Amino acid sequence: MNTPNEFLEQQSRRRFLANSAGGIGTVALGTMLASAMEQSASAEVSGGIPGLPHFTPKAKRVICLFQSGGVSHVDLFDDKRALHEYAGKEIPPSVKGDQRLTGMTSRQTEYPVVPPLKPGKHCGESGAWISDLLPHTQTVADHLTFIKTVHTEAINHDPAITFMNTGNQQPGYPSMGAWLSYGLGTDNANLPTFIAMTSQGSGKNPGQPIFSRLWGSGFLPSSHQGVGLRPGANPVLYLANPPGTTREQRRDMLNDLARLNEARAEELGDPETVTRIQAYEMAFRMQMSVPELTDISDESPATLESYGPDVHRPGSYAANCLLARRLTERGVRFVQLYHRGWDQHIALARQLPNQCRDVDQPSAALVKDLAERGLLNETLVLFMTEFGRTTFSQGKLGDPSSGRDHHGRCFTCWMAGGGVKGGFEYGATDDFCYNIAEDPVHLRDLHATLMHSLGIDHERFSYPFRGLNVRLTGVEESHVVNDVFA
Amino acid sequence: MRCVAIFAAAAGWIFAPISVSADEIDFNRDIRPILSQNCFACHGFDDEAREAELRLDISDEAYANRDGVTPIKPGDPAGSEVWQRINSDDTDIVMPPVDSEFRLTDGQKQAIKVWIEQGAEYSAHWSFVPPAKSPLPKVPAGVQAANAIDQFVFARLAAEGLAPSPAADKYTLIRRLTLDLTGLPPSGDAVLAFVKDNSPDAYEDLVDRLLDSQHFGERMALDWLDAARYADTNGFSIDGGRHMWLWRDWVIHAFNTNKPYDEFLVEQIAGDLFPDATPDQLIATGFQRNNMVTHEGGTIPEENLTNYNVDRVKTLGEAVLGLTIGCAQCHDHKYDPLTQKDFYSLFAYFNTLSDVGLDGNGGVNPKPYLQAKTVLQTGEEKQLRRHIARLKERLASPPDKRLTAWEKQQQAELARRDEGLELLPVKLLKVSTPNRGAGYEIDGDRFVHVTQPNGMAAYDVLTKLPTTSQPINGLRVVFHPDDDVPGNGWGYGPKPRARGKQKVKDPQKGSFVLTALSVSVGEVPADQVDLFRLLEAARVTASIWKPENRPENCLDMRNENGWSPPLEHGGPVHLTMTFAEPVNATVTPYLTTQLNFGSGNNLIAARMEIFAMTGADDGSSLTPDVITALENPAARRTEKQQQTIRNYFAAHSPQMERTRIDLANAEERLAVLTREFPTMVMNVAEKPRETFILNRGDYSQPTIPVSMTTPESLPRSSEQQNNRLSLAKWITMPGHPLTARVYVNRVWQMMFGEGIVRTPADFGSQGEWPTHPELLDWLAVDFVESGWDVKALVKQIAMSATYQQSSATSAELLERDPQNRLLARGPRFRMSAELIRDGALKASGLLNDQIGGPSVNPYTPGDLWREISHYGSTPATAQTFVQDHGNKLYRRSLYTFWKRTAPPPNMAAFDAPNRETCVVSRPTTNTPLQALVLLNDVQFVEAARAFAERILLREEDDRSRLQWAMLESLSRPATEKELNILVDAVTRERNRYRDHKKAARALVSVGESPRDLSLSVEEHAAWTQIASTILNLSEVVTRN
Repeated sequence: MNTPNEFLEQQSRRRFLANSAGGIGTVALGTMLASAMEQSASAEVSGGIPGLPHFTPKAKRVICLFQSGGVSHVDLFDDKRALHEYAGKEIPPSVKGDQRLTGMTSRQTEYPVVPPLKPGKHCGESGAWISDLLPHTQTVADHLTFIKTVHTEAINHDPAITFMNTGNQQPGYPSMGAWLSYGLGTDNANLPTFIAMTSQGSGKNPGQPIFSRLWGSGFLPSSHQGVGLRPGANPVLYLANPPGTTREQRRDMLNDLARLNEARAEELGDPETVTRIQAYEMAFRMQMSVPELTDISDESPATLESYGPDVHRPGSYAANCLLARRLTERGVRFVQLYHRGWDQHIALARQLPNQCRDVDQPSAALVKDLAERGLLNETLVLFMTEFGRTTFSQGKLGDPSSGRDHHGRCFTCWMAGGGVKGGFEYGATDDFCYNIAEDPVHLRDLHATLMHSLGIDHERFSYPFRGLNVRLTGVEESHVVNDVFA
Repeated sequence: MRCVAIFAAAAGWIFAPISVSADEIDFNRDIRPILSQNCFACHGFDDEAREAELRLDISDEAYANRDGVTPIKPGDPAGSEVWQRINSDDTDIVMPPVDSEFRLTDGQKQAIKVWIEQGAEYSAHWSFVPPAKSPLPKVPAGVQAANAIDQFVFARLAAEGLAPSPAADKYTLIRRLTLDLTGLPPSGDAVLAFVKDNSPDAYEDLVDRLLDSQHFGERMALDWLDAARYADTNGFSIDGGRHMWLWRDWVIHAFNTNKPYDEFLVEQIAGDLFPDATPDQLIATGFQRNNMVTHEGGTIPEENLTNYNVDRVKTLGEAVLGLTIGCAQCHDHKYDPLTQKDFYSLFAYFNTLSDVGLDGNGGVNPKPYLQAKTVLQTGEEKQLRRHIARLKERLASPPDKRLTAWEKQQQAELARRDEGLELLPVKLLKVSTPNRGAGYEIDGDRFVHVTQPNGMAAYDVLTKLPTTSQPINGLRVVFHPDDDVPGNGWGYGPKPRARGKQKVKDPQKGSFVLTALSVSVGEVPADQVDLFRLLEAARVTASIWKPENRPENCLDMRNENGWSPPLEHGGPVHLTMTFAEPVNATVTPYLTTQLNFGSGNNLIAARMEIFAMTGADDGSSLTPDVITALENPAARRTEKQQQTIRNYFAAHSPQMERTRIDLANAEERLAVLTREFPTMVMNVAEKPRETFILNRGDYSQPTIPVSMTTPESLPRSSEQQNNRLSLAKWITMPGHPLTARVYVNRVWQMMFGEGIVRTPADFGSQGEWPTHPELLDWLAVDFVESGWDVKALVKQIAMSATYQQSSATSAELLERDPQNRLLARGPRFRMSAELIRDGALKASGLLNDQIGGPSVNPYTPGDLWREISHYGSTPATAQTFVQDHGNKLYRRSLYTFWKRTAPPPNMAAFDAPNRETCVVSRPTTNTPLQALVLLNDVQFVEAARAFAERILLREEDDRSRLQWAMLESLSRPATEKELNILVDAVTRERNRYRDHKKAARALVSVGESPRDLSLSVEEHAAWTQIASTILNLSEVVTRN
């Protein structure tokens, strides 16, 4: 096996040599340049590493709707009769067990059970229970697979969200999107392979902080890190030309630059310069393709309406969901939304409905929109979070300031599209949705399943770093959840 | 000689000798990597993972007959089970197993076979054996070796049938050397002087001069900061600010004063344990305090402390020892002879600190820390004091012309006050605050009423604007006295703090400090202020204020300052923000206001009322005495009144802002050089923690207690092993097999782009085989013999002919040795992020070459921190980005503030790490985002604009100007072809801007540095485009 660097070097060398008839000193780099540019201008550039995908993928692309802060599975997805029977009563010690709690509740003297905030319905064919706080999600239940038994060892935000996104609780590792960018490359050379967007939640503002490492490249080349897409004049940082500079002018300048670079590269025999000229050309194309992407004026009123009123507020979760669809249409491999504000330690009764309102309609609309456009089967949509929340109350029961603490032992994520069954539930928690009763899915299994959907065998997809062949799923055992696939 | 080129492929990615002859088979180079990569995971060092009780990493076990089966029988492949198994077609028998990720290539199998045939000789892993100097190889006739380095490199080349490349020309040499040794390109003048100097010592003189430059220390520090994961924030979770720049100063100073590398390490690892440790030695220990820390509520202190020490051991391993010892945290190392016990024995050295598991909030360093002065002595004080006096003088006697202009402007504004003013009630829709579910309410549709203060808080208030077609020009917040607060005041603070046994009393009159005000509008309601649509303020006024709490303070989003009324004032008080652009309430009817009370101590308002404003504000930010004086015609003013105006003008007018910034920066600089500042250090706790082996690395599963000891499989020192000082002495003992090799390798990497060992953090068996093992060892031994003399090492490399080779190459050589492992040519690589930015600043003439001091915040596209931080909900600093001004915008890039969760984007684009963990080599990518930074980032556009100014100030024709510009930025004369392209471009841009003065003005207005007003705007704009073209050349960002 080659190191990626060697591979890239070979690639560029091969390309370089293939285009040079004789010695570098005599070869017309211009010719080679032209052909290289033609190649990339066609916008169908794959990149990635050889041998991937390992098998026929079900999904080509991923949209990850990351709910930062810890979504309450108890309130939204995992109602149990015992929660009502024991409402206000102490959670049975046999259920609570003696595993560690966070420093926020470990000194509480009482752990009273709190039933879900609102009633819900059994929806769709599977009869999955979904809270009335998520009325739109209820309508797309037949597209969704709920995994009720996701679990993590981390019990606090930083380690937990880092774990969920990079497979490791400590920093330094590549994120899911970076892995896929590295492994699969891109379908559209005019846009970044991996796009990340953030939004503030109405439940709790600011929500827990998030970090660039969550969409970072870790030890992979930094070209695989998620590129931020933001509202405003510079959707991608530094995209806009300086004031007083027209596009035509920029074109002229890039032509000059290419001629100057080309001349020098010939003299020095420097293939890297050729790559740099291509990078400048792609930057120039991005200056067109990105504004075109973020300009939603071509969306029909019906589509806009389906995402809810917030779609008109750039930077909102709804607006980001719509952009996610537009990015997916354009072949962007991995789109990740981070919506903050899911951390209902306090005032759950006030915060949770707001937070749900932020995401419910847009998430459901995204699934429907993808389905209507025939994109859902090739796009895997993941609704995930770093952990769930406790069955018991944090703070005094009934106090408007009370909420729920972090809970990593079991929580719910859902998937849609990408070859995943619709209207399906996987795994089951105990009567108090506090422990796993059957079919546990560690977050590593979730990663393995995600990669499986994209045609990647997680055990055979690694990168040599510090003497190890490091994988997203790490060294512990992990399994694809085959049952979720249709 | 039988050449088996197949081995190149056999060795796979671990190393790639160009060709290996079979009779030179070397276990460490040719066989160990194959076994390590494919076999050791199950048949290696790790007890727990071992399969079939078989070890292949040591000969005794591999040769041993086990029930008639011999894994490896020297000289007899057929009798060796290993060969039988790896060569088998039977999927049940073949090794590595078919279901594993490992596969042997035919070449690798063949290599093992040959090795067994030749006697299957094992040898200890090379890097665990102390280095020795081998005799210097002879170089063939006709090849000129300048020093020992060349003898090793050129002899190897000769063996490969290659010759070294000719020396680079002098233009390239001075550029290469200046970049490598100072991180900056040479000036055009320096280039010409060097080229003209025909003395035989010209090159050596240059090397010496550069080694003496104060920038040498900065260049060397840059790489050490990556290794030591230096940053200005805590890293985890809220990622608040910290103060560690004194340690950075120490590192720069150490390199500049050529502190021997062994002392450099000893002081950083154990400076506090010297008998009479100096403050400098204490500062040095910050090295192992640079790790990330957290104060995330709810995290478990023991777990955090474990993580910190794990990081310290990993960093020590990778940065100093070249060992991936972190792999032994959860189990014995799979490839290297490092046990889990070794890991925790090293862990024990750092587990004695008095650091605590949740610490570092509010911009206060995590303990332990101390106050100290910088070690740097730059001799600037005298000149700074003079500069400060001059600036104060300038403020004391402002230019009359500017003063008069300002007076007129103020008088006009005063006259416009109140014009058409109407205050319209807004409809209160919602109030929220992040960490409270109660304690505030909407009272009677009018008031935001805070009933329970909670130290600090930010309230987001969503309102609907009145239906009016009139433009909404601003907003007013009225703060009413409230019955619930002490003394019927406006707020709850300051919260009384108990002092000793004194009785604690409430304040006589409660008040507040509004630390920040942000406002956004939208078509749809936004519960929280929309960070992407914040309204810009034209001005902020208040009905009244304390002198130190002026109204405009609340436009600075930090917690450190704010607006507050004087207590003696009675009745309601108000603050008014006038928007830069009026708001149309029929288009964007929803207005969200965030009122931030970030001071703490309950300095939170109780009863607030918001109004939309049409017409003009009736307030002024001028003080009443200034207003009175201004309303008096100039001729009738008293001298005292005139002085009042002058003072106010100096202190607050935009016209004098640049001078005020210069003064503040100069005063800060003087303080940096003369006062004490906090920095984190190491110590030993009164009751040091005990260390245990942690099962699976889990803090909650301690098993066997361990004491401080160095790894068993490495040579021990004779010293006692009982504290960090003994650890440091062990690391730096002369015969240590790793320390010198690892550092020599990294200095080599700095100057060649790649190390002799191309896995600089891993000298273990999974690391790459050195491209020139004897050279590495020779350099390492020589380095120790020289007294760990870093400058001598750098000079030795710089003086070699190997280093001075041209990097120009042929297709043939490129194909033969794409990665330049044989060093038949000079190295070429893209410069690091810092060097690219610094180079542009140098060309622009804007570079501020002060060394040391606190980090600075140069241009960034917006407040990227606030978008992801805990702003408004924490006393932590570094939650909102506030840009610096004046000469702080042009400091060298190693001084840029490093926020780990949101590192500076223009540097991250060029592969700068986020400094969360130890990094000893950066990747080098080539991306469109890099192009966007160089083309469009304000920092680079301004640099082009200022560079253009330098070009234009040369009274020459276009061609000569271009010649100068190319020399200045590329360190070489331009070619005719290049000049022709650029001359045409100048003409084109000149024509373009001739009729577009507005566009021209827009371009030359980029950046905050003043421009030379004598230059024609159009001409300046045209040349700015040309300067930008030049600064974007591939060669400018490449070190050739």
